[in-house]
Amino acid sequence: MLRTAVCRFHSVVRSVAIQNVARTTSVLPSRLMSQHSTETDDEFDSRYEAYFNRQDIDGWEIRKAMNDLAGMDLVPEPKIVNAALRACRRVSDFALAVRFLETIKSKCGNRVQEIYPYILQEIRPTLDELGINTPEELGYDKPELALKNVYDM
Amino acid sequence: MASRLLFSSLRQVQKLQKACIHGRSRIGNREVVGFGYNGQYSYQDRVDFPMPAIRFKESTPDIVALREKEKGDWRKLTLEEKKALYRASFCLTFSEINAPTGEWKSIVGLACVFMSIGIWIVILEKLFVYKELPASFSEESKKAQLKRMIDLRVNPIEGIGSKYDYEKGEWKK
Repeated sequence: MLRTAVCRFHSVVRSVAIQNVARTTSVLPSRLMSQHSTETDDEFDSRYEAYFNRQDIDGWEIRKAMNDLAGMDLVPEPKIVNAALRACRRVSDFALAVRFLETIKSKCGNRVQEIYPYILQEIRPTLDELGINTPEELGYDKPELALKNVYDM
Repeated sequence: MASRLLFSSLRQVQKLQKACIHGRSRIGNREVVGFGYNGQYSYQDRVDFPMPAIRFKESTPDIVALREKEKGDWRKLTLEEKKALYRASFCLTFSEINAPTGEWKSIVGLACVFMSIGIWIVILEKLFVYKELPASFSEESKKAQLKRMIDLRVNPIEGIGSKYDYEKGEWKK
């Protein structure tokens, strides 16, 4: 779609430029470059919320979105987290929900003391409704098991 | 007949190759739950990519029973069951991934060992390998050398000759 539009625009520009080149030496500027995303934060939030709220979402799609969120420079809004937890409930994957909460905590970085309690406070009703425990309640805020080095086995 | 045999055996090989490419033959009966890093059925604990393609543990009968129970109300699961579910899907928690390994101690220790070996080599070479320093390293020889360099006006622009006042016969202040 974009490509055809660009090609058409380019051919038009070129024909005009060739006609005008005898009279003027200037050529119309046409730069073929990518556009930056103009999505606002609200649009981003509602896009991900709607994605997680889809009724027929499956585990692959949930994991894909969670991995994407883990790779972005942001902490997901509580409403995205809520929608994600409900999506985990729909596919019946408890471990995924806890892992996602751990990801949120990890995403808070060095401001975990400020952001993480706020998110927990916002999603607390959902946690109670679905029966999800936070990683702290499961004792996962401290290392529980040690993994033996594979080279020592 | 022969060609059909060849084709059927080739198809077997192809199937085997496909299974190998994605690692299906290596994961036992572990459930494939996502795309993973690159489409291969591998498990890895990564903070920046928290959901790998397969579950960590194979689907043993008690885990399958637990998964059946998971389809019901999560509030009825006990803490032990929840932790078992987590460990069936994932190997390490985030705090365990980020836990310090203590490896820096062995690295620092080994570095110190090798540095001390190097220092000992220098000391032993001084003691047993090298001869005495030549006579020109004595204090008088070095003074005589300096005197001669001044007399020869060595390096008069920026060096030793430029720092010596030849009219007064002393170092410039």
